[in-house]
Amino acid sequence: MAQTALTIFASVFCLSVIISPSTSVDANNKRMVGAGQDEVSVAAKVDDFIESELLQSKTPLAPTTSDEDFLRRVSFDLAGVVPTPRQITLFGLDHDLKKRQKLIGRLLESEEFSENLAGYWRDVIFSRATEVRANLARGLFTKWLTNRFESGATWDEIATELLTATGNVREEGATALVFAHNGDAQELASETSRIFLGIQLQCANCHDHPTDQWQRNDFHTLAAYFPRVRVRRVQTDARRTFEVVSFDVPLARSNRRINRARLFARLDRNSDGKVTTREIENTSIAGFFTRALQVGDKNKDKALSLEELKALPEPNKGRNRSSEYFMPDLSNPASPGERIDPAFFVSKIESPVGMKDLERRGELAKVITSTDNPWFARAFVNRVWAEMLGEGFYMPIDDIGPTRSPVFEQALVVLSDEFTASGYDIRWLYRTIANTRAYQRQARAKDPGDVSPPFAAATPTRLRADQLFNTITSVMGVQENLGRRTLAGSGGNAMYGRGRSARAQFNTLFGFDPSTPQDELTGTIPQALFMMNSPTVNNLIRGMGDTRLSRILREFDDDRDAIAELYLLVLAREPSKNEVAICLKHVKSNDSRSDAFEDIMWSLLNSSEFLTKR
Amino acid sequence: MQLFSHDHVQVHRHGNARRRFLKTLSASALAAGTFNFRDLMCLQAAELRKQGKSMILLWMQGGPSQMETFDPKPGTENGGQTKAISTATPGIQVAEGWENTAKVMNDIALIRSMTNREGNHQRAAYQLHTGYIPSGSVKHPALAANLAKELADPEQTLPAVVSVGPTYGAGFLGVDYEPFVVQRPGETPNNVASAVNENRYKKRLGLLDELEGDFAKRGGRNVVDSHRRLYSKASRMVLSSDADAFDSSSEPAALKANYGDSAFGKGCLLARRLVEAGVTFVEVRSNGWDTHDNIFERVSNNAAQVDPGMGTLIADLKQRGMLENTLVVWMGEFGRTPRINARGGRDHYPRCFNVAMAGSGVKGGQVIGSSTDNGASVKENPVTVPDLFCSICHSLGVNPETENISPLGRPMKIVDGGTVVDQLFTGS
Repeated sequence: MAQTALTIFASVFCLSVIISPSTSVDANNKRMVGAGQDEVSVAAKVDDFIESELLQSKTPLAPTTSDEDFLRRVSFDLAGVVPTPRQITLFGLDHDLKKRQKLIGRLLESEEFSENLAGYWRDVIFSRATEVRANLARGLFTKWLTNRFESGATWDEIATELLTATGNVREEGATALVFAHNGDAQELASETSRIFLGIQLQCANCHDHPTDQWQRNDFHTLAAYFPRVRVRRVQTDARRTFEVVSFDVPLARSNRRINRARLFARLDRNSDGKVTTREIENTSIAGFFTRALQVGDKNKDKALSLEELKALPEPNKGRNRSSEYFMPDLSNPASPGERIDPAFFVSKIESPVGMKDLERRGELAKVITSTDNPWFARAFVNRVWAEMLGEGFYMPIDDIGPTRSPVFEQALVVLSDEFTASGYDIRWLYRTIANTRAYQRQARAKDPGDVSPPFAAATPTRLRADQLFNTITSVMGVQENLGRRTLAGSGGNAMYGRGRSARAQFNTLFGFDPSTPQDELTGTIPQALFMMNSPTVNNLIRGMGDTRLSRILREFDDDRDAIAELYLLVLAREPSKNEVAICLKHVKSNDSRSDAFEDIMWSLLNSSEFLTKR
Repeated sequence: MQLFSHDHVQVHRHGNARRRFLKTLSASALAAGTFNFRDLMCLQAAELRKQGKSMILLWMQGGPSQMETFDPKPGTENGGQTKAISTATPGIQVAEGWENTAKVMNDIALIRSMTNREGNHQRAAYQLHTGYIPSGSVKHPALAANLAKELADPEQTLPAVVSVGPTYGAGFLGVDYEPFVVQRPGETPNNVASAVNENRYKKRLGLLDELEGDFAKRGGRNVVDSHRRLYSKASRMVLSSDADAFDSSSEPAALKANYGDSAFGKGCLLARRLVEAGVTFVEVRSNGWDTHDNIFERVSNNAAQVDPGMGTLIADLKQRGMLENTLVVWMGEFGRTPRINARGGRDHYPRCFNVAMAGSGVKGGQVIGSSTDNGASVKENPVTVPDLFCSICHSLGVNPETENISPLGRPMKIVDGGTVVDQLFTGS
């Protein structure tokens, strides 16, 4: 990772490939959706709306941020990595007036952009998984999504693929969303609405939404797009896996009671009055039969007689037996409930009745991603904006909709409309937001009680686990495995394995649900203990041997130079005079230069700034 | 108006309040002068804390068989080869292999009539930890977190919730109530000991604090403040001797031997030490209860670890006078099928299973409810999961109807529905 990060930056700075981001129509590059208006003019419109409102409320604007801070901020947001000291110096020395715009364009073309985004969406989806076993698909999902972003897939394409996926969860990355909820129609309805529309509909599961216009029926008509999705366990060569399949059995048949005598006659191919494993081999009930034998084989002859078959308990008539959706009757939970057919609550479109699974889910994807549905674009824009600026137009970012009122609505609308016009081009949106003045402002001191409107100054935000892990590997100059050891003792609360790689363990320890508002993210005790005391961190900051710090100490005899270099390395900025003075004082009060610098590096790694995008 | 701000005070008493809540709170509090109400809340909480109530959950992951634990049916077809043994309480028998637990039966109440519907490990384990079935829209706090929020002393150095082995988190209640997970019970956990000597560690903390100043001035004030709080809590744990509670090496050899040399036994000893040191909730986990085959041998192996730990724990707590304030609950996510399958095992069975409880007001030496002779269903006094959770809350002096506000503004009770099983406390 550190290596690749270095390479992309090297190419960013050494080859002055000039990409004019908005108009780049590369014949070989299908990534360019190209219909989007040029980002500078849209960014300017967005800024005008925001700034005129801020002016009205007499909120002073913070000045444009320094090159150092901008470089770090945009590198985290677009590529999930921290810039190296060399890159910071070169960027500072570059006199090109359009250097920020160009940097944005180049970062968007990097592989890291896709990886960063994929990690974000993995966390969005898996943080709310109701099926813990879905963790086994995390890795594949991330890879799949990285590839999709890499090849320029648009947001409507990705949404459609997630909603309509089928196949083995170890082979088809797009199955993750369905797998994460074990194919449950109601959970899928809630999450589809939350993720793709930003609308929290699940309150309407049991009653009309208390604070919104949604009614109970709205929720259940959405769930009615999913009654035929199934997640099924598959045993292949000792490797346990699951597959997402369609259950396209007509309703009448799916509810019918099986005539066991007839079933027996069909299964008993040699008509010897017994059904054996051999006879049911290669039939659709082969898997079920082993279990039926365990339960029903009274005389232990490894076969089922007609009597034994008849004595088997009735299979559970749960929702898995039905290919249509029934809204539970809350006053009588045991009853099957009222049949509901699919309709899209936003645009009130009623979809055809009795569709097959893939048609049904395809239809849902179509109405959701339709340009007539403004919430698809707004939800995405609000999310990306909040991720980059620390606060959304709507907060919380996944609780929006027609009865919620956003801040700076005009800015949101123009951004969303242009995003829709671009054909839901993800890079277009990132490029536009990164080019706004709102994005490029400094942070500023704020009183605790200050409730002035957002976007007049930057909001510091907490780095996601992936970004932090990339930073640590890059700062320490080590590979993905963090030197040679795994992160002992970082095991968190995961009930189902998320993988044993250093990155996966680090994510378990430092990960959070990215839909959480910033001021609720405060870190945990085990995280602090890890950064302070873990042998992993402490071995990597030694002032002796083959470490970054020891190289800096060898290279820079002058303590001031070494301090500056260390700040550039860890925090990607020059230290202030005050900070230099504090560090020098510490060095002087120590007998060992190497010890003193270890302490400084430890402090920088444990600082809040290290964990924060500023 | 009063109620409205009261809820928010509760949610965010120790936490980092969301800005809009703060706004609401300060506006409404100023308007209605409700700060007295808030003070009242804190007082009540302090009152509860003084009682020093704690809970130890002995969690049997996989679903322990009722027939091979505390509801044996010797001599019946479904009962299988499992024999029953007598206990300290005349008339109560448990399965063979639970001799240590049998000795302290006068302190234990057995519920043989637990009934539930979830037969899937993940869903049922989630439900038996949180009281709710899983939902993508809200991360329910584990009961541990809810209890810690009501009972734990926020000034305490040690975490409020500790788990030996993985468990469920605090959900929307936030990091203050997240479980601190211990991998090797009895030893100082990873990263709690400083990597450098105490003097140098303190110097490092001082340097860190000084260097944070500039970032705070440049717009990072909020971040720096919350980081400082976190680091002060974490470093207190590193520097204070309270964390010695994790290290059981000073315990007498004979006592350690009684608890047993297994991870579970060590976990039980650690649980007692932690509760003694002020931790509100400790979970000790035993794996391997998903016995679809060879159940008699497998349960017997499991019991060889769990029984000494559990029996010794209850006796030890009692001997130290801690049992009256410490609730011990033994349970898993469901029971197992009464009928023995072809592989000599039992499958998942939520319809009828058992739970054991001791301490904190629970009247021992009694059995609550019963299962039918073939074990297929509850014969009398069915107890649901909400009933069990209400009873746990009652035993610890926590109101199960206490509401917390989920991130979407929905009030969620600690326990949704259910009634307290009075017999647990009255014996009749």
